[in-house]
Amino acid sequence: MKISISISILLLAVTLGGCAVVPQNRRARLADPMMSLSDDPLEAHRKQKLYSTREGAAGGDGVAAGGGCGCQ
Amino acid sequence: MIDPARPRLALALLAAVLLARTAAAEDPAAPAPAPRAPLFTDADILAKPPPLFRLDSVAVRYTRFDQSGTGYQSRAGKPGGPGSEEMRVDQPQLEVVIKQGAHLTHRVWIPVDVVTAASPDAIDVVSTSSRRNEAASVDWTATYAKDHTTASIRNGHHEEENYRSWNTGLALTQAFAEDNTVVSAGMNVVLDWFDRYLLSGTNDGHNARSSLNFNAGLTQLLSPTTIAHVDYGYTQQEGQLSNGWNIVPTPQGAFQLEKLPGERGRHAFVGRIAQHLPWNGAVHGSYRFYVDTFGIVAHTFEVELHQRLAAFARIRFNYRYHTQTGADFFRTSIALGDPGFATADSDLAPLHAHTIGFKGTFDFPVKLARTLHADLAVERYFRSNDLRVSVYSCGLGLLF
Repeated sequence: MKISISISILLLAVTLGGCAVVPQNRRARLADPMMSLSDDPLEAHRKQKLYSTREGAAGGDGVAAGGGCGCQ
Repeated sequence: MIDPARPRLALALLAAVLLARTAAAEDPAAPAPAPRAPLFTDADILAKPPPLFRLDSVAVRYTRFDQSGTGYQSRAGKPGGPGSEEMRVDQPQLEVVIKQGAHLTHRVWIPVDVVTAASPDAIDVVSTSSRRNEAASVDWTATYAKDHTTASIRNGHHEEENYRSWNTGLALTQAFAEDNTVVSAGMNVVLDWFDRYLLSGTNDGHNARSSLNFNAGLTQLLSPTTIAHVDYGYTQQEGQLSNGWNIVPTPQGAFQLEKLPGERGRHAFVGRIAQHLPWNGAVHGSYRFYVDTFGIVAHTFEVELHQRLAAFARIRFNYRYHTQTGADFFRTSIALGDPGFATADSDLAPLHAHTIGFKGTFDFPVKLARTLHADLAVERYFRSNDLRVSVYSCGLGLLF
């Protein structure tokens, strides 16, 4: 639990600490599809299907946990 | 010698012509002179206005899940022992995205599940009515985007043999600091309505549950090659949370239905980071912490390695590790008639799970559209309490 909170705080600090502005003309690499932090919606659903119906700890982030199989 | 009458005649003719022109100009009944045809039209200058509705993309995906393993919640085994969880799911999906005007986008999504060999985990042990079960959803999302703000509304309906579900949601995003920072927030409501069964498999009317979910996220550009995202979500569920047919074995070789609490609060924290690599690749890392009122605490780590092979081709390797404690009331055996909460569901057990995957992606420019997208993915999921899933997926899409 303490490790999780520490990691979460560290991630938050890294994120908030990086508020230096990256100008528009220096974002070419960020625009590469390889850099997308989210999958395309159909693939995201495939992954969600794999985990949300097999792990009791799935869901709750970005979409509602639950629905479908009651074991979720 | 000049005839003195000639100048007078010329002056008289000139005066007559001028008077006639003046009279014609002042006569309101006189027909207006025809306007000159323009040399070019508005369309020549402004170009043709775009149509109100414009097809933005069409995508299809087909996925197969092949599952094997055992769990104590299944009746498809020896009395008191774990039963089979063998199952196969075929999942086609269709997505169409349409632009309406300059700011509005509609997304229509239709996923279908065809579940075969579901009997080990369903009522088929009693009645073989649903050895093959089809399920389908229709989901519509409308997004309004202007300047640095987007607002979305989402509605969906899910239908299958003994189960119906409705969902609706709202989401907002706001970009700051020249789009370096994006803050998002959203909420979703899901209402499930399904058949209730007795231990004998007899239908006993209907039951329901609801899920209310809130999310807040922050995406931040950290450098010209680094991007990070943090997210928190809370979900509150109420109603019958069990699926209605999972069992808990008793020492006497009998069994009774699982019994779960009537509500569940679930917290999930997620952090993700992506770093572009100098050799035209990228690495992604993520960590997720989860805790709920059932007593489950989970940690999930995931790493992805992306590599571009050509302008039109790239590959991805991914590994995910998930570990969770069990629900407080998880047990593989219960005294007959025990009224307390109990589940033998292997998904609520303490477990470790690994996923290893590979994906190849191809994006070709074509005449018909801006891009033709194709991808192929293979994944293997396996976990400590005897469950294995092989996943095969391929996608195809046109981006206009």
